[in-house]
Amino acid sequence: MSGRVRPIEKFAEAVGKCSVEAAAYGKCIVADYQSVHQDMCAKEFATLKDCYLKAAKKP
Amino acid sequence: MRPCSLRPYLPTSALRRRAPVSRSYAVQAPGAPTLEIFNQHVKYLQKERAASNAEQSRKVDYIRDEVAQRLCERLLDIQRHFPSVLDLGANSLNIARALANPDHLTLSSHPTSAPNAPSAPDVTDPSKLLTSRISHLTCAETSPTLLHRDPEPQSSIPLELQLLYSLETLPYEPNTFDAVLSSLSIHWVNDLPSLLAQINSILKPDAPFLAAMMGGDSVFELRTSLQLADLERRGGVSPHVSPMADVRDIGGLLSKAGFKLLTVDVDDMVVEYPDTFALMMDLQAMGESNAILKSAGGLARLSRDVLLANESIYRQLHGEEGKEGIPATFRIIYMIAWKEGAGQGKPLPRGSGQLDLKDVLGGGDFKVS
Repeated sequence: MSGRVRPIEKFAEAVGKCSVEAAAYGKCIVADYQSVHQDMCAKEFATLKDCYLKAAKKP
Repeated sequence: MRPCSLRPYLPTSALRRRAPVSRSYAVQAPGAPTLEIFNQHVKYLQKERAASNAEQSRKVDYIRDEVAQRLCERLLDIQRHFPSVLDLGANSLNIARALANPDHLTLSSHPTSAPNAPSAPDVTDPSKLLTSRISHLTCAETSPTLLHRDPEPQSSIPLELQLLYSLETLPYEPNTFDAVLSSLSIHWVNDLPSLLAQINSILKPDAPFLAAMMGGDSVFELRTSLQLADLERRGGVSPHVSPMADVRDIGGLLSKAGFKLLTVDVDDMVVEYPDTFALMMDLQAMGESNAILKSAGGLARLSRDVLLANESIYRQLHGEEGKEGIPATFRIIYMIAWKEGAGQGKPLPRGSGQLDLKDVLGGGDFKVS
């Protein structure tokens, strides 16, 4: 396993570049965390995922 | 989706493990049937996988080494000689190492701090005392790769490494050990009441049982943020963090198993991680990943979406202002219990008090002012 970057490490690195979008999504959930339901913050998540996908693509 | 397989990561010996052949009488046990919560085989494979990467596994021994150290400090308080001691669930011989280097100079975690480590200027050197007080230490563990990961620590205590098939049934005769230690292992046991009763049986009369286990609120941050992420992304919750025993239950369980003179206390350790992925990777490298029975078939697999959502929620919900990292709380329950024996202090029977506390302490009835 050594010598090769694990997928989770690549994932973590890419996610780390999206801290602004992540904060927005997190705030959306935490604002009303007593009554979370599916796709409550779908818009914020879409932005976050777009950012992650962009960050992950870069070599 | 195909369930993920641990196969490529495992040492070949782990794949060849067979259960020992055993037959038992058909019995109808009284009381509630034993609940199977954890998948013991999955736990075994996780430990094997974690230990097969020795370097990584040594790096994440920080909690185990610290807890073993604190447990040994408690053993130090008992002024007596232990001819034969059992370390139940030895992991990577953490207790043996803590006994060999009583001032934190473990092989793995602080190789450079040896010369300038703060040495306790005690008149009575604890190392000499502890090592001379234990004549024989049996280290029992289920995972062979983890048990033999490091060479045996240099100490004057003769060690015996023993491989168990499972921690749930102990292969020892009654009245064998003068003390049983256990550090961060018994939280993976399905039938804790039965295990405690067995420990009580293998102890000699008036012998102590000292243990540390992960408690109910350990990594509650991860548990809550994963639940929220799961709820928002997939519309439901699946168990990603294994359940753990609560502090309140431990006292009851111990006294039910026949132990006397119980001491239970809790220690919260907060560790800071750069992000949730580092936390989860470390848990995996410790072999402490989730082992709930239901998660075996890939039912509770984490998708990337949930992981992504979890990272954001964890940071918002539990992250501290002005800090880069995220905190993770490990709640360790320490317990000391004694097997009943002659000459042991006992509480007086109920209702045998001759004095009124009111007369002793003074004061009187409550007055409403």
